[in-house]
Amino acid sequence: MIKVTNLSKSFDDLAVLKEISFEVNKGEIVVIIGPSGTGKSTLLRCLNYLEAPTSGSVEIGEICVDAKKHNNKQITQLRKQSSFVFQNYSLFANKTAIENVAESLITVWKTTRNEAQETAKNILIKVGLEDKLNFYPSQLSGGQQQRVGIARAMAAKGEVILFDEPTSALDPEWVEEVLAVMKQLALEKQTMIVVTHEMQFAKEVADRVIFMEGGYIVEQGTPEQIFEHPQHKRTQAFVKRALKR
Amino acid sequence: MQSSFDLQYIIELMPILIKYLGVTMEMALWGFLFALILSLSLALIRVFKVTFIQHLAALFISFFRGTPLLVQLFILYYGLPQFMPIFIGMDAFTAAIIGLSLHFSAYMAESIRAAILGIDKSQMEACLSIGMTRLQAMKRIILPQAARVATPSLMNYFIDMIKSTSLAFTLGVAEIMAKAQMEASSSFKFFESFLAVALVYWVVVLFFTRIQHLLEKRLNKAY
Repeated sequence: MIKVTNLSKSFDDLAVLKEISFEVNKGEIVVIIGPSGTGKSTLLRCLNYLEAPTSGSVEIGEICVDAKKHNNKQITQLRKQSSFVFQNYSLFANKTAIENVAESLITVWKTTRNEAQETAKNILIKVGLEDKLNFYPSQLSGGQQQRVGIARAMAAKGEVILFDEPTSALDPEWVEEVLAVMKQLALEKQTMIVVTHEMQFAKEVADRVIFMEGGYIVEQGTPEQIFEHPQHKRTQAFVKRALKR
Repeated sequence: MQSSFDLQYIIELMPILIKYLGVTMEMALWGFLFALILSLSLALIRVFKVTFIQHLAALFISFFRGTPLLVQLFILYYGLPQFMPIFIGMDAFTAAIIGLSLHFSAYMAESIRAAILGIDKSQMEACLSIGMTRLQAMKRIILPQAARVATPSLMNYFIDMIKSTSLAFTLGVAEIMAKAQMEASSSFKFFESFLAVALVYWVVVLFFTRIQHLLEKRLNKAY
């Protein structure tokens, strides 16, 4: 369902992603791990063109966008195929929780306001925020804000939800409630690509783990393969350090 | 010859001046409305970096901030009709409104632009990530927040504009400054006449400053 082919990204002379190719099937949960600064977040941001890749192509569902020849309309189409959960939540500060979640339905999918509100309310109930519907982001804790962030991504009707280190900015006390929501989504076979440093989550939830370093995919496989029997030296070194924490 | 201060004259002059306050306020309100529309357009052109016109917008802003309002009014009203016949029929009142709105739009564009750039960029990304276009994001998420940031400085420009309408008397607009000038020349009570007109401006400005505070209080309560 998702097909990334020879994706490269350079910032000026600095090559951040080097000819990355991989596929993700419908319902699959893929977790990307690796040291900081190896292009994991950049890869995720290239998948919906928040960052424009330098070369290569991204295909999600019916939409395929080539870095060398694309137009704004294609990019908007591609973005509708996915949604994104940000490290720092990035909620709309002038909208309440329910308005944040309903926004894509109203603006992008042209749903009536009542219907959108109803859908948004149900999603917020699902992530355990039924008592915070009319709260502004500034009135919510970090964990609650991130759950709204996930709810907003769920509402956007994308084929896949992209998670960019969703728990990295959270106080430790809020991490679990956010992971719990993500696990629930995984149980429902929501296609997800998750960049994270939460190794336990990767081990428990992922169908496939991708280890990235230096702009390459070094190794990928089931959590067992990557965490118990890593083939590559660099994967071994990283996993050993990461699991010790 | 030293004359004594004539308070009675000021009191009698007040109602005469206030009759002309309508013209002053009309210029300020129309001028501000047009300036608001124009400055928002200029700010968006610069924020979106629209090819080519962004340079025209930058040039426009540079010129109208870099030259005195009085000079701009003179160019517009006395100068342009010599070269462009369509301006010949333009009355002084219209010229003053056009001049004021062009001048202030340059300043206001910069504070609107700063307000937009001050809104966390990640909210724009969030909009894009759920499939919104940049224009939709601007309209529904960024501008409503930028408006709150920009309101205090825009209100300051409005107050500044009320005072700047006094320059319109140099084009022959019959507003309160012109009336004060006329009264002064016939009575020779220059100090009292100009003091009276200053007091009128002051009271009007105090009134709008009060409105500004109420508006800011309301906006800050929202979220």
